[in-house]
Amino acid sequence: MSGNASPGRADLAGRAYRFAGDWAPTAARVLLGLVLAWFGYHELVAPRLWTGYVPGVAASSQVAVVMVLVHGWVLLMLAVAIVTGLALRLAAALAALLVLQIVITLTVTGGLTDLTLRDVGVLGLAICMTGSSRQRAVLTG
Amino acid sequence: MRIAGENIGVRGLTLLALAGVVGIVLGIHGWSLRHQGVPSGFAGPQVSPSTSVGAPGKASKGSGHSAGPTSAPAQGPSAPAPTSSAAGPAAAGPKLSSQAYASYAFRVWPGPVSQAASTAATGLVIKVHRHGSGITVAASVAGQPPATPKFYAAGATVYVIEAALGDDSGNTDYNLGDDGLVVTDTQGRIVQ
Repeated sequence: MSGNASPGRADLAGRAYRFAGDWAPTAARVLLGLVLAWFGYHELVAPRLWTGYVPGVAASSQVAVVMVLVHGWVLLMLAVAIVTGLALRLAAALAALLVLQIVITLTVTGGLTDLTLRDVGVLGLAICMTGSSRQRAVLTG
Repeated sequence: MRIAGENIGVRGLTLLALAGVVGIVLGIHGWSLRHQGVPSGFAGPQVSPSTSVGAPGKASKGSGHSAGPTSAPAQGPSAPAPTSSAAGPAAAGPKLSSQAYASYAFRVWPGPVSQAASTAATGLVIKVHRHGSGITVAASVAGQPPATPKFYAAGATVYVIEAALGDDSGNTDYNLGDDGLVVTDTQGRIVQ
């Protein structure tokens, strides 16, 4: 009886691994894009709330607002590119650079905290996407 | 079309262009609200004389460097001049509960102070003392010079406004741009 069940389980596990192999990179891609989209959207619609993060510029200045708006726009574009898989590796590389800058800035200004480490995780995801070659649900044409 | 070795078709370019336009429209909307210290869906018309605590966020990070006005409580971009003074109670404004940011208000006086309120007050130094028939409130950014206490009549309630608790970590508030301080009278109307 167990001899009959084992091949079935192995087959199920194999299918699960194959499914994960097929779709996990896509899930990672979409989730990374959602993170970028969320921050990009909020930076665009409420830039004043984010000026405190701009390094080297007074948070109350209009320069800081402009920088947040530009940052938010870039994040939104990268999000669209990553979610749809357009120039994925390039978009992921740019996203990795942006997140790296954020991690460095937060570390320098506030030290290594749980907040910073969370961004390190996002950075890792972006770096992973720069080498991704197997993607499903990609916009083509 | 090839960009850095990757192909982007007509549909892709169209989508990116569309996203770019949407981003610009959102950015124009955000720029039009740049004088508001709170998000567009947060406070609406800034009729309340709320005083932002430490708009220059960098001052809160304990890094030792600061930028912009750092005297506390620093005036947020949307905050009109405080209407209260040490000489006496301030004129009351609208009810806090009528403000869109009411859901982001965490009571710090009188106690007990909730865990969420403690987190919301991260990076801030809020001192409330009984003083005669009322209380004095001094709020400043941690690491910055203490603020001048202001007097409020008895029954006043002190709230800290924090739009996003996610920018607080440990004893650090990475972004004070979404923080504020509100004092209400016994009717729940904003006096600061």
